[in-house]
Amino acid sequence: MTASRISTPTAQPRSAFLFYLAVALIAGAVIALQISIMRIFSVGSWAHFGSMVVSLAMMGFGLTSVVMCAANDWFEKHWQGVANVSLLAFGPLIVAANLIAQQIPFNAIFLISDPVQKWKLFGNFVLYLTPFLAGAFFLGAVFLRMKETFGRIYFADLVGAGAGGLLLLGCLYLFRPENLVVVPLALWFAAGIVWFLAQSKRSGSLTALFVLGVLCIAGHFWLPQQLAIPKLAVSDYKGVSYARKFPDNQRVYENASPFGYLEVYSSSYLHFAPGLSDNAGFNLPEMPANAYLGMYIDGEGPFGVMRNLSDKEVAYFRYLPMIYPYVIKKDPSTFVVQFGGGISTRVALHNSKHVTVAEGNPEILNAFRNDKGLRDFSGDILNDPKLDVIDYDGRLYLANTDKRYDVIDVSLADSAGLSSPGGFAIVEKYAYTREAMRAYMRALADGGVLSVTLWNKEEPPKSVLKLYATMVAAARDADPKADLSKEFYAAASYLSTATVLYKRGGFSAEDIDKLHAHTHAMSFDELTYPGFEFDTKQTADSLKSYRESIFGADDEAAKAAAAAGIASGSAGPKAKGTSIVPTSEPTTAPMADPTAPAANSADPTAPPAADPTAPAADPTGPTADPTGPDANASSPDAAPAPVPATVMGQLAWHSLLHGNGTDLSDYVFDTRPLTNNRPYFAAYVKPGDLSRTTDRLEIFQDEWGYLLLWATLGIAAVAALVLVAIPVLLGWRTIFSRTPGQLRVILYFACLGLGYIMVEVALIAKFVLPLGNPTVSASILITGMLVFSGLGSLTSERFMERAKTTMPIIFIAIGALLIAYGFVIDPVLDAIGRLPYALRLVCCFLLIAPPAFLMGFPMSTAMTWLGRLNKNAMFLWAWGINGSFSVIGAALVPIIATSFGLASVLQISGIAYLIAAPAFFAIFLPMRTARRAT
Amino acid sequence: MDRRQFVLGSITALAAAPVANLARASISGADSKVPVPFAWDVKVPIDSREEFVAWAVKNRGEDPKFLTQRWNRMYAMVQNKDLTDERNKRAFLLTPREDFCRPVNRAHAYDSAFLDIGFGVTISGPHAVGRMTQVLNVQTGEKVLEIGTGSGYQSAFLSHLTDKCYSIEIIKPLAERTRSVYDELIGDGYNEFKSITTKQADGYYGWEENGPFDKIVVTCGIDHIPPPLLKQLKPNGVMVIPVGPPGAQRVLKVIKHQGQNGDITVSRSDIFNKVVPFVPFTKLVDGEIKGAHNGDAKDTK
Repeated sequence: MTASRISTPTAQPRSAFLFYLAVALIAGAVIALQISIMRIFSVGSWAHFGSMVVSLAMMGFGLTSVVMCAANDWFEKHWQGVANVSLLAFGPLIVAANLIAQQIPFNAIFLISDPVQKWKLFGNFVLYLTPFLAGAFFLGAVFLRMKETFGRIYFADLVGAGAGGLLLLGCLYLFRPENLVVVPLALWFAAGIVWFLAQSKRSGSLTALFVLGVLCIAGHFWLPQQLAIPKLAVSDYKGVSYARKFPDNQRVYENASPFGYLEVYSSSYLHFAPGLSDNAGFNLPEMPANAYLGMYIDGEGPFGVMRNLSDKEVAYFRYLPMIYPYVIKKDPSTFVVQFGGGISTRVALHNSKHVTVAEGNPEILNAFRNDKGLRDFSGDILNDPKLDVIDYDGRLYLANTDKRYDVIDVSLADSAGLSSPGGFAIVEKYAYTREAMRAYMRALADGGVLSVTLWNKEEPPKSVLKLYATMVAAARDADPKADLSKEFYAAASYLSTATVLYKRGGFSAEDIDKLHAHTHAMSFDELTYPGFEFDTKQTADSLKSYRESIFGADDEAAKAAAAAGIASGSAGPKAKGTSIVPTSEPTTAPMADPTAPAANSADPTAPPAADPTAPAADPTGPTADPTGPDANASSPDAAPAPVPATVMGQLAWHSLLHGNGTDLSDYVFDTRPLTNNRPYFAAYVKPGDLSRTTDRLEIFQDEWGYLLLWATLGIAAVAALVLVAIPVLLGWRTIFSRTPGQLRVILYFACLGLGYIMVEVALIAKFVLPLGNPTVSASILITGMLVFSGLGSLTSERFMERAKTTMPIIFIAIGALLIAYGFVIDPVLDAIGRLPYALRLVCCFLLIAPPAFLMGFPMSTAMTWLGRLNKNAMFLWAWGINGSFSVIGAALVPIIATSFGLASVLQISGIAYLIAAPAFFAIFLPMRTARRAT
Repeated sequence: MDRRQFVLGSITALAAAPVANLARASISGADSKVPVPFAWDVKVPIDSREEFVAWAVKNRGEDPKFLTQRWNRMYAMVQNKDLTDERNKRAFLLTPREDFCRPVNRAHAYDSAFLDIGFGVTISGPHAVGRMTQVLNVQTGEKVLEIGTGSGYQSAFLSHLTDKCYSIEIIKPLAERTRSVYDELIGDGYNEFKSITTKQADGYYGWEENGPFDKIVVTCGIDHIPPPLLKQLKPNGVMVIPVGPPGAQRVLKVIKHQGQNGDITVSRSDIFNKVVPFVPFTKLVDGEIKGAHNGDAKDTK
C-alpha cells in the first residue's frame, strides 16, 4: 500500500477542510444509499423488505468494527491504505450489488412455500451489505486515525449524513427510482476527488478513481441495456405490473418525487366501483365503460381516476357505499378528507351543493392541475366551480377550521394497500385515529354526518373492528354524556366494504327508515342502528370460534377464556338461533383410510374413523356440511343466515355501545382503537400469540410487515450478540485484558445505539402529525437530528476536560427531555399543526434541537476519551456495538409502538440514556499495565 | 396408513413407471397418447392408492410418481372436507395438475401451497381449488364460466364434471400459453379438455353469447363483483370468488336468488357460512397426515 502522506486537521487548514469534507461526503453517500435501496424496494417489491435488508446491511458497521478491533494495530498502522482502498471500492460495489440484486428478485408471497425465496432474500441482504462494508471500513479507518479529536470527525460524519439524506430526498424529484443510486455514486465520486486531492501523492489514485467512476456509470446505464437486464425489477405481483399487462395499456402520466413514483395508466380493462352493491347488476341499465384510469404510487394501486360521467352513467353512484350520507342529507356542504383518485369527490359533487376536498400529496394535485391529459379526462375536476381544494392533510384542516360541514366523508382513504399481497407495512394511519375522528366530529354542523368507509375484506375481521372502536371512543370524547347508540349507524357487505355513519345529535326515525330501506335495497347487512338488539347468547361462541379458527381448539388462551366463564361450544349447551358452529367439533373427522388396517383404533387419542358413506359420520351433521350435495340447494325465499363476520360486527358494536357483559378483549385479534400514539391497523396479532403464529405463517400474510419486524429484530439481536461475542471470545484475555470495565462499556454504547435510533425513528412517525406527510417528516427529522447532534458533538470538545462533571448533567437532561416529550409531545404537535406550513417546519426543527444537540455529546465524548486513553480495540469495538444496537433499536420502535405507543418509545429512549450515565465512568478506568512475560 | 404399506405402495408406484413412460410421454411428447380416453361413466378406483395408481398408469398413461402424489393429496383434501363427493374426488384424480404447473415447480405440483406460474399469477393450491369446485357442485351438462383462466387447472378439473366449460383470461400471453397447454394435452388424448372453450378478453363483461351460466368462478382480484357476471348467472345460480391475500383467502359464495314473484336478490356468504379453520390445516408428509393446525385433527398412522 502506498505510504503517501495525507494532510490531517493537524496539518494545513485547507487540507483539513478537505479531509473533513471527504468524510462528510462518504457519510452522506452511505445514508443516500440506504434511502435509495429502500426506495428501490418500495417500487420493485415492498418497502418493509427494504427496511429489513437495509437494517441488516447496516450490521456491516458492526462487522467492520469486529475485524478492525481484532487487528487494531495493523489498521492503525495502515489506516490510510485501508481508507483509500475501501473508498475506491465503495462506488463500484454500489453499482455491482444493485445490478446483481435486481437479477435475483425474491417474491414475498412465496416466502413460506418456496425455500428458494429465502435464499434470494439472503442474497439481496449479502449483496447490499458489501457497499456498506466498504463505507464502514473507510469511516472506521478515519475514526481510528482521528480518535483523539473524535468530536470533530463525528461532527463531519453526522452533518454529512444529514445533508446526504436531504440531498437524496431532493434528488427524488430528478431521478426515477431505478437511477437513484446515481446520487450516492455522485457523493462517492466527489468524496474520492476531495480525499485524494488532500493527499500529497494523488495522481495515481485520482486516475483510478476516474476510471472506476466511468466504469460505474457504464455499469449502471450501459451494461443493463447491452445485457437486456433490468436495473429495477418490479415484482409481477405489484399492482402496476397487472396494468402493464393489459393489452391496451398506456402510461399517460409519470412523475418521480419524494412523494412517491406516480404513474397513471389507461386501459379499457380498468374498472372501479369499490364496494358496489351486488344488486347493481339487476337494476342498472349500464355500467360506465372506458371510464377509468388507474393511478399507482410506487407501483401500489390502482387508485381509480374517473372521467366525467353522463347523467345516465352516474346512476351507479347509488350502489356505492360512499353514497350513504347523501341518503339522509340533501344538498349538503360536504368535506372529502382525501382526494386520492377522485371517485369520492365525484360522488360528493353529484350530491352536494358545495364540496371541499383535501389532499396531502402535492404531486397528486399537481398531476390533476397541470397535466392536460388528466385534466381533460377528469373534466378538470379540481377547477369545478362547486369545489374548493385544501392542499394539505384534511385531518389537520378539520382540526383547526371554524367552518362546519353537513357531511364529512372518509372513503377508503389510503387503503389501496389493504388488498395487495405482500403489502401491509406498519404505516401510521393518522386519518383514522381517535383524535382524527374527534376532529371530524367537531367539524360537523348540527345534524351533520360523518361517513367512514373501509375495506371489509378480512376474515376474521380485523381493521373494521379497530375502526368501530376508534369511532366510538372519539364520540365518547366529544360528548361523554350522549347516548351513543342513537348516533351510530353501520352497515357492511361481506368481504367487500363497511360503512359507519355518525350523526351529530343522533339519527331521527325518518333517517333510520331511509337507511333501512337503502341498506335493504343494496342487500348490505346492518351492524348497528338506534334500537338494534343483539342476542348476547351468541357472544361466547362467536369469540371462541374465531380464536379456534386461527389457533385451534387446543389453544391455551381459548382454555383460559373457557375457564374465565366463556362457555365452550362442545362442553356447554349450544346457543340456539345462531349460525355459528363452534369448531371444537372436529370439522376434519378423518374418513377411514381405505388402504390402512384399523390402525386408527389403536390410537386412543385419535378421533374415531368414520365411514365416509354414512352421513352420521359427519359430526357437524349432514345439513351443516356446506360442501355436501345440498350445499347449493337454496330456498329462493329463505332469508340467508347472517355470516359470522356480520355477527361479529354486530357483537362489536353492541359491546362498544352497551357493554352488557360483552368484552372484545377476548377476540382473537387486537381491536383497540387507533390513537395518535398508536396509529396502526397493522399489528393485529396480540404479542402473546406471536409464538403460536410460527407454524401457520401462511395465514398471516397480511401481517407480514409486523412479523418481519420480529424477524428483523431476532436476526439483528443474534447478529449483535455474535458481534459482541467474537471480540469477547477472542480477546477478552488479550485485546481487552488491559481495558477494565468492558461490560459497562458495552452497556454504555448499546444504550446510546438503542436510544438514539429509537428517538429518530419514533419522531419521524410523530412528526407526520403536524407535517401531514411522511416524506417531509423524514427529511426534517433525519437532517435536523443529525445536524444538531453533529453540532453537539463539535461542542462537546469544549467540555472534554470536564466530562466527568458535565456528562452526568447531560445524561439527566437528555433523559428528562425525552421522558417529558413522551408525555407532552402530542398536544405540542397538535398546536404546531395549526400554524402556517413554513412556521410548522421551523417549530419542528426547534423541537428537535434540544434533545438532538445534547445527544451529540455522549458518543463523541466517550469515543474521544477511549482514543485519548489509547484504548484502540475498545474504541473500535464500541463503535461497532453502537451500530449493531442501532439496528436492534430501529426494529424495536414499531414493535413497541404498536403495543404501547410511540410515546413509550421516547420514554424508553430516555431511560436508556439514564442507564448510560453511570456506565459512562467505566471509560476512564485506567489501562492496566501489560504483564511482563515470564 | 402404516409405514410398511406406504413403502410398498411407493415401490409399486415406482415399478410402474416404465409402463407409464411407454404409454405416454410428458406433455411435450406428442407421439404418445392417453391409452383409454375419458368417458363420463369411467370408474376410477378412489379408495386405494395402489389400485388408483395401477389403474391410471394403465388407462391414463401418467407418471406413477405424480399419480401417487395426487392420490395422497386427494386423501388430505378429503380429510379437510375440501372434497366430499365421489364425482369431485374422481375429477381431482383425473386432472394432471403437474401439466398445468411451470416446469420449475412441477415437483411441487401436489404440495398444498399455491405456486407461481408467471405474469403475477398463481395456480391456487389444490385444497382451495377442490373446495371451490366442490362448493360449486357442478352437475353434468351445466354451463360453467371461469373468469381468470390462469394455469388452466381449474377448468381442467371442471371438465371432468361437465362438458360446458368457458374460461376467459385477461393476460394475452398467458391465455395463449394455457391454450397451447390444453391443445397439447388434447393431442395427447385428453379428450375431455375439448369441452373447455377459452378466449382472451376482459372477463369483466363475462361471455354473453354463451350465457347464461349455472355456475361462475371468478379468480381475479377486483374491488366489486362485475354486474355483467351477475346478469349472466342463471336464477339460483352460484358464483364463488376467493377473496384475500394468497394463502389466507376466504371463498366468497354468491347466490342469485329468484323469488316466486320473480324478484331477484343476491346473498353473500363464506362457503361454509360458519367459522372454520383456514386451509391448509393438514400437513402431508410422504403421503401421511402429519399434524394439524387447528389442533383437533390428529396424525394418522
